[in-house]
Amino acid sequence: MKPVNTLILIAIATLLILFISPYLGLNVDDTAIQHHILTQLRVPRVLFAFIAGAGLALCGMVFQAMFHNPLATPFTLGVASGASLGAAIYVYLGFSFTIIGLDGGVFAAFMGALIAISFVYSISRYQNGFSPETLLLTGVAISFFFSSLILFTQYLSNLTDSFQILRWLMGSLTTVGYQDIIQLLPFVSICVAVILWLTRELNLLMTGDDIALSRGVSVQKIRYSLFFVTSLCVGAIVALCGPIGFIGMMVPHICRLLIGSDHRWLAPASLLFGGAFLIICDTISRLIIAPAEIPVGVITTLLGGPFFLWLLIKSRSKVA
Amino acid sequence: MTILLEVNKLSVSVANKQLLTSISFQLEQGDYLCILGPNGAGKSTLLKSLMGIIHSKEGSINLQQEALSALSQKELARLVSYVPQAHSQQLNFSVIDFIKMARYAYHSAFSDWSQDDQQALEYAATITNTEDFLHRQMETLSGGEAQRVMIAAALCQQTPLLLLDEPTSFLDPHHQVEVHQLIQNLNQQHNISIIEVTHDLNHAAQHSQHVLALKQGKKLWHGPSSELLETSRLQALYQQQFVFTTHPQTGAAIALPSEFNNGEHQ
Repeated sequence: MKPVNTLILIAIATLLILFISPYLGLNVDDTAIQHHILTQLRVPRVLFAFIAGAGLALCGMVFQAMFHNPLATPFTLGVASGASLGAAIYVYLGFSFTIIGLDGGVFAAFMGALIAISFVYSISRYQNGFSPETLLLTGVAISFFFSSLILFTQYLSNLTDSFQILRWLMGSLTTVGYQDIIQLLPFVSICVAVILWLTRELNLLMTGDDIALSRGVSVQKIRYSLFFVTSLCVGAIVALCGPIGFIGMMVPHICRLLIGSDHRWLAPASLLFGGAFLIICDTISRLIIAPAEIPVGVITTLLGGPFFLWLLIKSRSKVA
Repeated sequence: MTILLEVNKLSVSVANKQLLTSISFQLEQGDYLCILGPNGAGKSTLLKSLMGIIHSKEGSINLQQEALSALSQKELARLVSYVPQAHSQQLNFSVIDFIKMARYAYHSAFSDWSQDDQQALEYAATITNTEDFLHRQMETLSGGEAQRVMIAAALCQQTPLLLLDEPTSFLDPHHQVEVHQLIQNLNQQHNISIIEVTHDLNHAAQHSQHVLALKQGKKLWHGPSSELLETSRLQALYQQQFVFTTHPQTGAAIALPSEFNNGEHQ
């Protein structure tokens, strides 16, 4: 199938999911309450899931291209843990500030993400190139390190804060409202715009740094701008709904199988698919033990864990 | 003759390690220069400096009378193209998409594929004889085919200067000859200036016009390739005795490493 047709199909499926999912599990008879649930709870929740999923998928795609590795994502490389730590410290210290109307927690998470990525990048550079093993191990180490710092923060916090941090760490969309969409949208939009602007450069980065440079790509400049916008995006998502793992790894990989490696098609496909995918996961998370809910991060991780192992085994056998 | 490239007292050090020391040479338009030298002599460092990958603070590189450091990466990519050593990266692209990507330097973010681009693509595919597998996937190519595609992509960039880093190191003899002939053809028929890093002395002596010999980051010798195959010169370069014979068909001089080193048996 031609990429353009595949993309149209993905777009149609995404629209269907966007419109149908709010109505699923709507078991109330009173139309007034129904209306309230739909407009005040379900619609913002679905919209938020779409924006967050799209952002996470695109950031994952960028990491996979930049590190030439399907296992490299903001989550596996510890960037999300960095963001989580930033946000946890923000909760612990009891700060509450806004910068031009945007929540301070988002900025704290952004700083955490940026610190984590600087770590991973400089360590992998120091080890002479991006050996996949070094890279992933660095990511794992950094994740552990930040996770224990988060535990430490939690330990120091009082019971309410501690519980708040714990619930949020599981990744949940239960409480999002229109306000959160307004908080999230600017960061994800900036990130999406920059990534869609740089699709040719991403293609060339896949061929290796030397070739990309010789074709005229300012590799270093592009890399830093991509690190910056993905940190913004991941930071904002993590701050608002917790670390929702594995979407950034699964979605771009599935899209690559569907539409190919050309980022001019892959980027819009991952964006739509990622949004739709998180909506589906979130819908499952609120239906599976209804009327109770499980955090959506649990669902994505349950799906993502086996997927990660499958990718790992597959890439191993290819090398051998 | 016009000077295409001028390297002036270029010194490069990376992480406090001196890799190149005061290298100077000139390349005329249409020249074919081979860079020789033992492993670790700085050959790749020199190529990378010419590609703007490594920036040096000492000395200067001028391309067509313009300082390389003043050029943007895109401007540089319209003057210099590059063929890497055997490529290990997994490339999930079709051949045609890979070659098309080499037109990056002529495009802005959303510009369309133009008539010029199409001509460059057809020209590159014709010369390198890659038209037949333009629609195959990169990872299905054999070593020889892949190297021709790499050269096709570099040609698609339409630069006056082409850099090649050991382009035949991992090829079998047949494909080595094929790639050597292709490079010579580019130089002679299409007036593309070539700089090639190689370990193949006889190839350098027979096919190139000039040779630059590097040793421990310094220029050991720079001269016409016809003067390369001399005992003292090769001995100084590689710490190795050579013996000489002639090619039975062409009568060209050929150097072979001596079986008895240090002149024990002469």
